[in-house]
Amino acid sequence: MEQAFFLADAELQEALAGLSAQADVWVPASDARKPGLVRFRRFQPGLTVRLDARSLVSAKEVLFPRSETLLRFTKEKDLSVPAGHRIHLDDARTVRPVVVFGCRPCDARGFLTFDPVFTKGPYRDPYYSERREKTTFVSLVCRDADAACFCSAVGSGPADPEGSDAQLIPVDGGYVLRPVTERGAALLEPIGRTAAPEQIREAQDVLDQVGRETVGEGSLTTLAEAFRARFQDPAFWHAHIDKCLSCGLCTFVCPTCYCFTITDEARGLNGERIRSWDACMFPHFTLEASGHNPRPSKVERYRNRVGHKFSYFPARYGQVACCGCGRCVRHCPVSVDIRAVVRDLPAQEEAHA
Amino acid sequence: MDTLHAHLEALFDDLELVIGWETGYEPLRPTPAFLRSREDLSRLVWNPLCAPNLSVYLPGILKDAKETGKKIGVCLKGCDSRSLGALVQEGFVERERLYVVGLPCPGTVDPEALAEARKSSAPVTHVSFRDGLLAITSRDGTEEIELERVLARRCRRCRHPNPLHADVILGDPVPPRRTEPSFSDVDAVEAMSLEERRAYWEEELSRCLRCYACRNACPLCVCRDRCLAESRTPKWTTQRDGVRDKFLFHMIHALHLAGRCTECGECERVCPVGIPVALFKEKMARIALELWDYQAGTDPAATPPLQTFDPSETGI
Ligand code: SF4
Ligand code: SF4
Ligand code: SF4
Ligand code: SF4
Repeated sequence: MEQAFFLADAELQEALAGLSAQADVWVPASDARKPGLVRFRRFQPGLTVRLDARSLVSAKEVLFPRSETLLRFTKEKDLSVPAGHRIHLDDARTVRPVVVFGCRPCDARGFLTFDPVFTKGPYRDPYYSERREKTTFVSLVCRDADAACFCSAVGSGPADPEGSDAQLIPVDGGYVLRPVTERGAALLEPIGRTAAPEQIREAQDVLDQVGRETVGEGSLTTLAEAFRARFQDPAFWHAHIDKCLSCGLCTFVCPTCYCFTITDEARGLNGERIRSWDACMFPHFTLEASGHNPRPSKVERYRNRVGHKFSYFPARYGQVACCGCGRCVRHCPVSVDIRAVVRDLPAQEEAHA
Repeated sequence: MDTLHAHLEALFDDLELVIGWETGYEPLRPTPAFLRSREDLSRLVWNPLCAPNLSVYLPGILKDAKETGKKIGVCLKGCDSRSLGALVQEGFVERERLYVVGLPCPGTVDPEALAEARKSSAPVTHVSFRDGLLAITSRDGTEEIELERVLARRCRRCRHPNPLHADVILGDPVPPRRTEPSFSDVDAVEAMSLEERRAYWEEELSRCLRCYACRNACPLCVCRDRCLAESRTPKWTTQRDGVRDKFLFHMIHALHLAGRCTECGECERVCPVGIPVALFKEKMARIALELWDYQAGTDPAATPPLQTFDPSETGI
């Protein structure tokens, strides 16, 4: 570790307040009324920051809001044109710099699934891309994996720096802040003091130790082919998915699910075109104008969720679309376990007869 | 537990499948199980962590089931059995196609309360339950926690822990925690001033993701893929993220459960952001009780009050 800074526990609020002067700073924080409920919230002084707890919903909404205005429109009556009115469009927007502070490595890595889809083209998404370019991720080296976590099984791990601009490493009395990218270094410099050699040594030990940990069994990254072979095996999908309720929870808490719908929400002559989260677990997602639905039940819908993440996406972009954060497993009302489904893909047919 | 296995094994030849619970990815999370062979039965578990209400699956599974003449076995807690009752009342489930195993219920665990009560946060390797105590084992050792301390809200107000409408009851009846209907949580919200109440719900509902888990987990939300919350024609709600639309959805959801909600609390249990959405429906249940002396799902022969019209009714 060449360059590193130290931030004492007691200085955290002050440091976050400092960062907030130039950027929107998002941190895991709990609600006053519900101490157990940790979500990413925009920092303001006095907020109960919870670096010790895993956030319930991912940091996805920071760059990909649940509902965002793409443009505003107004209709103006004008009888000189055939339509009888003119439409004025306004897509002006300001993009503030964003810092996501204290997310876990999986949260930062989740955006690596968004990036190729939204920023690389052929259809570059300006809304996401502009925000993404101005976002810095500071992730916490993770020491409290629970039974739902499986980041190592998707090629990541609890100390993974990929997708992060800087790492927070818990040490005695605070954190050592280690820059990963230049952007990370620029962000950290003003908020920490240079770490002492023994703090750097302690941080390196933590990094090494956590880096050796394996969270989640086996590897789920090479099952694209097995999925295709399983595609038409109703017994397999029923065995795993009969219990699914076909709600949108797993996709909404997921840091890598990026599907959306676009709707016009108008009142009178004014309105907005809105992009909001949608999900392959919903019936309307594939409902065709004729009334036909090619994914008529939860079985086809969940199969798509698995296929998209572990087969179609890897085939197109060379990586699985899952960061192993475990949220879909942890919060599913009926504990559907995507790991178990994916792991069983290549298993013997008889097991599900 | 042994009784449950033995009982179902003896009957299995006459059953198409058995719906129960099995250990999930961690012993803390039993998950619904659809057991289709005799060997599968050994996976069944039953303890205070078996939270999901299995009656939610019945209309769908009966619709898809082949006509083999065999029955579908299902394990139901007290509150689950009331949901079954309501489904039978409304004609969504043919009772005679089911074999209902009623399990007197000691109450279920609120996972958040349990996480707070535990000293260790390490993954759980084993769970057992005896004499009102949960023994929870992880690499940090075994902790004993009183069930009463970590009980789900729905169970604190439960008057029907002993299943209704069952073919067989396995286990000794348990004394209900309440003998009279309890609406103290609704009272607490109603005691707020109008402004406080508005602020309360605005804050709670601002967290709603519109994931619709509350709707899909509800055994009585029978519209399934035809819900107006997602309908664009006609358009009832917009896709905006504000409290307005969320509130509208929840009000409609609650009103559609008026005189139908069986107070199983699943909507609230499954909400990932901890919104006490069952309170809306409890309010409806209270009105049904006060107005018609009616408790949904307790009498399969009764006609739900909003599905009939009686000109002699007064006060409505
Ligand atoms: S897997 Fe779980 S969270 Fe996802 S749709 Fe099914 S029930 Fe809902
Ligand atoms: S699929 Fe599940 S484990 Fe994978 S990134 Fe999404 S929520 Fe996390
Ligand atoms: S509400 Fe009653 S029957 Fe239902 S889980 Fe709680 S104690 Fe059991
Ligand atoms: S489960 Fe919770 S977050 Fe999801 S729609 Fe219902 S109230 Fe909203």
